[in-house]
Amino acid sequence: MTHLSMEALLSLREAGLEPGDAAAREHVDACPVCRAELDRLHQRVARLKALPALRPTRDRWPQVAARVGAERRGRRLRVGGLVGLAAAASIALGVALGGPAGRIAGGEQEIRMAMARSQALESALSQYDPEGRVLDGRTAGIAQELEDRIASVDRELEMTELLERQPRDEQLLKLWRERVGLLDALVDVHVTHASNVGL
Amino acid sequence: MDSYLLANAESVVARARAGDEAALEELYRAFEAPVYNLARRICRTTEDAEDVLQETFFEVCRSIGRYREEGSLWGWVRTIAASKALMRLRRNKYRDTDQLKDEIMGHRREDTALRMDLEAALERLSETGRAVVWLHDVEGYTHDEIAGMMGRTPSFSKSQLARAHQRLRRWLGEEVET
Repeated sequence: MTHLSMEALLSLREAGLEPGDAAAREHVDACPVCRAELDRLHQRVARLKALPALRPTRDRWPQVAARVGAERRGRRLRVGGLVGLAAAASIALGVALGGPAGRIAGGEQEIRMAMARSQALESALSQYDPEGRVLDGRTAGIAQELEDRIASVDRELEMTELLERQPRDEQLLKLWRERVGLLDALVDVHVTHASNVGL
Repeated sequence: MDSYLLANAESVVARARAGDEAALEELYRAFEAPVYNLARRICRTTEDAEDVLQETFFEVCRSIGRYREEGSLWGWVRTIAASKALMRLRRNKYRDTDQLKDEIMGHRREDTALRMDLEAALERLSETGRAVVWLHDVEGYTHDEIAGMMGRTPSFSKSQLARAHQRLRRWLGEEVET
């Protein structure tokens, strides 16, 4: 007599019947070997559930609290910094517009376009109210990683403002484009999640 | 889990959302033990499990505004913890070498007919196998949910569970004479 595979025995423990489960159930009823195997499986799972709970030896709350506090302070600074950054960039571009040549250099125009795109994406993102939505752990992890990378680009943008004009403009363009790419991805994460869960 | 928190979850969550650090710490104290236990059962070392504990609560603190009280608070925290633990496995790249090691260990055990206790046998499973066993059999996640968290298919989760049980059965000396 052919006995049931482990996969078939495990399937009998699931709530919904899968194709072949009815036949497998009939087999278990008639076969003492498979019945014993199924009983052992139930006992093994019961013993797994009864394993003693393991406890951490160190208190990690101080580290969590410190990181949460640091992030809050960083967020406040970042918001203020970004407003200043955008204003500084606008002034710089305004100066270029009103300059003797009376036209925007190609690089500056591209920076301005990237900034506008970044602003549009942030506005789109705010419409999905990401702070007010529940995300599953995986999606939240991806969103968090993207937000961290955006924060890192923002810090670089602040530093780049201090550079001399020529390398500064090239670097600014690169960073604003990177920011747009990351925001694009973040919008995708939130929009995809929202459509998956029917929000 | 803390019975005070279970009874007062709504007000603690409301305070935590408002940024009250004492409320955030109450959440940590209430769920610290089950989160660590889940993480330690999935991760290979205590250090990794403690890091997962820390990462989980950092995520809980920053995302508490996203918790909509549609499911249980523990269910929400647990899903974050499971994702962080699985992320830690991926980051440590255990999986690449796991299969081979597991095959070797499996054959050795078969040869020597070693009987182990359940804790030791669980510890000997591959990272992926142990994670699937724990998430499915103990935490009660479905194969679809596990597949979602692992970025794999439900069939992968099912076959990992079956292989893990075959090994546990052998290592625990539970094979039935036919």
